[in-house]
Amino acid sequence: MKVNVGTIQSDHAGFNNIAHIAEQSRDVLFDSVELDFSYCDFFEANMAAPLYAVVSRMRDELNDVSLTNLTPSLETILRKNHFLTKFQKTSLIDTNHTTVPFKIFKLQAGEQFFEYLEFYMHGKGIPTMSEGLTKRFRQSLFEIFQNAAMHSKSESGIFTCGQFFPYKQRLDFTIADAGIGIREKVRQYTGNAKMSSCAAIEWALTEGNTTKTGNQPGGLGLKLLKDFIRMNEGKLQIVSRYGYYQFSATGDNCIKLDHDFPGTCVNIEINTQDTNSYYLKSELSSDDIF
Amino acid sequence: MNNRITIRVVDLIGSQLCISAEDGQKVFDKVLPLLKDGKPVTISFDHVSMVISLFLNVAIGQLYGSFSEDEVRALIKVEGLSGDDMELLKRVVDNAKKYYSNPKGYDAAWQEEGNEDEQ
Repeated sequence: MKVNVGTIQSDHAGFNNIAHIAEQSRDVLFDSVELDFSYCDFFEANMAAPLYAVVSRMRDELNDVSLTNLTPSLETILRKNHFLTKFQKTSLIDTNHTTVPFKIFKLQAGEQFFEYLEFYMHGKGIPTMSEGLTKRFRQSLFEIFQNAAMHSKSESGIFTCGQFFPYKQRLDFTIADAGIGIREKVRQYTGNAKMSSCAAIEWALTEGNTTKTGNQPGGLGLKLLKDFIRMNEGKLQIVSRYGYYQFSATGDNCIKLDHDFPGTCVNIEINTQDTNSYYLKSELSSDDIF
Repeated sequence: MNNRITIRVVDLIGSQLCISAEDGQKVFDKVLPLLKDGKPVTISFDHVSMVISLFLNVAIGQLYGSFSEDEVRALIKVEGLSGDDMELLKRVVDNAKKYYSNPKGYDAAWQEEGNEDEQ
């Protein structure tokens, strides 16, 4: 079957398009799926991560997936960020140093994820940022990565990708999985079998709420992420099943997608010109903490 | 007072990355019996390059499920964390205290949240 890929940016319409691709191909088995880019005017490279969450579902069903009619410039971008290596094309050297390549990690591969960030945070893809900003950014990415590892049950792993947009001084980093989605876990935990995707995302963002079992506290990762994004004046998007949540300096809201995104995707866009130090000269001692 | 025992996290988990629940559990499993014996413990984060809330929840936050605030305060010390990571630990500890005071206390209002349009 042939599926049209529309314009894909890191916004509601872009995620809706990706979810639509998933929905159209949901019941296709042992077949060929052609993702046709003829009508794709623009594709933000970091969105390769959620697109691959959909592709991985297709490949799980033993479909042969191909990408067709990419413009030469889009092909160059997607070869530079290594996405097309998953479609039997070679990668290109990213001479502009604006790419954090697409990569698939196993759920337990936290240490490899660290090495990947180390490598690409040192001038190989990510702009020079203050040490404090770099640290908080990495911590935030880990909170997201480990959330996916712990909760998603994604059999095909975790997909990551980043892109620096020099003219905006913004860096987008996207972590996606092809798992069960936030809604499923929260429904099980709260016992509310009709909870919507947006309500489930909002539940997960409420401090102290966690679906973690085993009588352990949790539920801080996403809140810490929001605090960081607020201070940095960046943007956070969480997409899971029918839910599209966005948080930025102008506020937050959750809008229902028209289609079902088969997993969860977190995109954070940071302001790379941020001059906040992030190093708190904290005088806290053990006695103050406990 | 008993001699204080120092747990070096880097040595115990074999990594400078405090990023997983499993490694947090390793630390917790060492601290738990010592505290039960009333022994003071220092958890040393020297040479750790990354710590996230998930790890701290399990390694330290979980202690409030077994011990009172007074007991933890009297026996546990941490060292080797930067100022911002100490702030993170404070957040984890406050969250843990709240959690164990009412572990299943999610808001009943969430029971009302529904959407018939979703499958």
